[in-house]
Amino acid sequence: MDMPLLCAGFAALSVTFYVLLDGFDLGVGALLLLQPHEKSRDHMVDSITPTWDGNETWLIMTGVTLLAAFPTAYGILMPALYIPIIVMLLSLGLRGVSFEFRSQMKFYRRRWDVIFAVGSIVAACMQGLILGALLQGVSVQGITFSGSVLDCIRPFPALCALCVLAGYVVLGGCWLQFKATAQLHGFSGRTLRIALPLFMVSFFAVGGMSLFVQPGILAAWQGHPVLLGTLSCIVLLAAFILFGSIGKRPDVRPLIAGLVMIAAGIGGLAILVFPTIVPFRISIWDASSSRLSQIFLLTGAIVVTPVVLGYSFFAYWVFRGKTPEKGWDGYE
Amino acid sequence: MSLNPATLARVQFAFTVSFHIIFPTMSIGLAMFLAVIEGLWLKTKDGLYLEIYRFWQSIFAMGFGVGVVTGIVLSFEFGLGFAKFAQLAGPAIGPMIALEVLTSFFLEAGFLGIMLFGMHRVGPKLHFFATCMVALGTLLSASWILSANSWMQTPDGVAVRNGRLVVVNWWHVLNNPSWLVRLPHMLSAAYLTASFFVAGVGAWYLLQGKHLAFAKKSVALGTAFATVLIAGQVFIGDILYGTMLKHQPSKMQAAEGFWEKESASPAPYYWVILPDQKEQRNRFALGVPYLGSIWLTHSLHGRVEGLKNTPAEQQPIMGMVFYGFRIMYGTAILMFAVATASLWLRWKRRLFTTRWFLRCLVAMTPSGIIATLGGWYLAETGRQPWVIFGMLRTIDAVSPVLAQTLLATLIAFVCIYAFFMTAFLIFVARVIRRGPESASIHAEASGSLKNALRPQVLDRANANAAVGR
Repeated sequence: MDMPLLCAGFAALSVTFYVLLDGFDLGVGALLLLQPHEKSRDHMVDSITPTWDGNETWLIMTGVTLLAAFPTAYGILMPALYIPIIVMLLSLGLRGVSFEFRSQMKFYRRRWDVIFAVGSIVAACMQGLILGALLQGVSVQGITFSGSVLDCIRPFPALCALCVLAGYVVLGGCWLQFKATAQLHGFSGRTLRIALPLFMVSFFAVGGMSLFVQPGILAAWQGHPVLLGTLSCIVLLAAFILFGSIGKRPDVRPLIAGLVMIAAGIGGLAILVFPTIVPFRISIWDASSSRLSQIFLLTGAIVVTPVVLGYSFFAYWVFRGKTPEKGWDGYE
Repeated sequence: MSLNPATLARVQFAFTVSFHIIFPTMSIGLAMFLAVIEGLWLKTKDGLYLEIYRFWQSIFAMGFGVGVVTGIVLSFEFGLGFAKFAQLAGPAIGPMIALEVLTSFFLEAGFLGIMLFGMHRVGPKLHFFATCMVALGTLLSASWILSANSWMQTPDGVAVRNGRLVVVNWWHVLNNPSWLVRLPHMLSAAYLTASFFVAGVGAWYLLQGKHLAFAKKSVALGTAFATVLIAGQVFIGDILYGTMLKHQPSKMQAAEGFWEKESASPAPYYWVILPDQKEQRNRFALGVPYLGSIWLTHSLHGRVEGLKNTPAEQQPIMGMVFYGFRIMYGTAILMFAVATASLWLRWKRRLFTTRWFLRCLVAMTPSGIIATLGGWYLAETGRQPWVIFGMLRTIDAVSPVLAQTLLATLIAFVCIYAFFMTAFLIFVARVIRRGPESASIHAEASGSLKNALRPQVLDRANANAAVGR
């Protein structure tokens, strides 16, 4: 069996889960900045509080899968993405602690909310920067990163940062459509009407500009025109469905459309870089770890992932339905 | 200070990992404590246990949160600062950490939400199950990460082919020579940490004359757990000493503070030394005569091996290893003394009224953390100059990142982590000042799985309860 391919599949799966799940978390966080009413902000945070931790775990899963299955790539990419990764980790940290502290220290709640929102926005932008840096390609000599850590601070990654932020805000808006009631429901509808067009424009701008910054992307389009074209159409179609279903019932429809839209986008990215793991430089087979390591990882993944998905779903199920406006404790 | 990338990468890793370990140590201990307390509550239906649970749960949640966000950093830092280490060791430690994420992080994360916010929705029995799953998660997490770290201390089960590391035997990688000794050592360290926290807070309330029922229970439970655990810990520590002496003699040579191949006879037990690594001697040394021979060789005149048995270029820096060990060992002795005193006072029925003892307990509140940090400094600085003992030197593992960049991010880490610590301490101080009674009390003991799947029933019950109140 082709172990490296399976491992790459698992890495792709965990990054997809991460983007879809933490995407709406980060989006809700970013939207806190636009929400003037403290009660509504509480409500927004309550909607993601019970499950954010699990969502973020997929980020660790992605990083560690890379370390376990493709250590060569991990050792090249981490130094190459040094700045955006560290800034992302620090902002995720600030965001994570403000989750806890905002609920405990009511006195400073406003300040914690600002930290929460800024942390979410910066983390989203850094993930966009990482995406942009990967698509434009990193300098490699042998198995060592040979560029500068500042290579990722360029116009194209900056555009990607905007695109990812807009995408997460869209997901956050969709999530609130699903979980929120009354005033907040209307608020999320209004944000979606602005954020979704912004996302679409930046998404296709990234797509267009990528052809000029990375010859490998042009080659991929020539290699799989139908597949990539279809995925682009799915993104577009899902966006239209999403836009049409804002504020209407069933209120889960925007969320599903949003998730399909982003998932199709990730699928397109996977096709662009496949079969490389250091994009357009080193293939998954050349970066592979020892066979027994990959077998160990995959066995664990195949046995445990269904269980993980099972109780993650259970956790969502326990907190299903509209988020109570008084919070999960029913007090306050 | 020269801007050396290797030094900066090490300082950055040491800082972030030292900061991080404080919180998992606390979480591992408190999670188990909470599981025990909730079990006792379900069994006895005594509301006092629920009060204790609620009180420590809020501190646990906060510590857990800080632990998660500082832990994510580490999973990337292997590559950020030490790319060559990641590329060589990835095949061995990568899958272990991946399995840690799969079997433990997701388990904790999945049930933490239910544990913290789900009492109304799932009822006490399923809630107890969630608490147990979180505690199990912390235990599994410790097992995997100790296995990975022990592999770096005593690597086994791998071969190097064409400059790449290949796993030959997974069982030998996982069950490497030091894992099964270091794991119980770390676990009981974490449980000791929680025990002294609980006892310390209880003692503080007793001294203040506040929340007496809560305080007595806390002191009684905390000191009881601590007494059992410290007795076991001394025993495990002694076995671990032997294991490390066999597999990493350089570490233990540095830990005892002797330089010459054989110490004088009888050997003293040093408590303060001023080592000069370049001259390979101590400029100053202060110790208890005979005690070194007695403790280390179990005879009155035995000689102890010194660091010169290890070639100079393979020696760790003695000062760091020695003081890491002394901090851990010294704290353990204090813990042992406190535990013994608690037994005596318990027998005399003066456990809650002896004020000097209660003051000792308050002072010992952070002792578990201090001992754990000391122990990890012993383990990690004692492994130097290797990152994987005998296989890869730390200096050869560093990433191609400029010193200025490393310095800038190090400063950022220090600032933000200082902010985390300040906020955490302020929060804990507030929780303690407010007292256990203001921790919200939740659903009655009547839940079942059926309610969990039909939360509206519970919601209605709560609505009625709210009206009644």
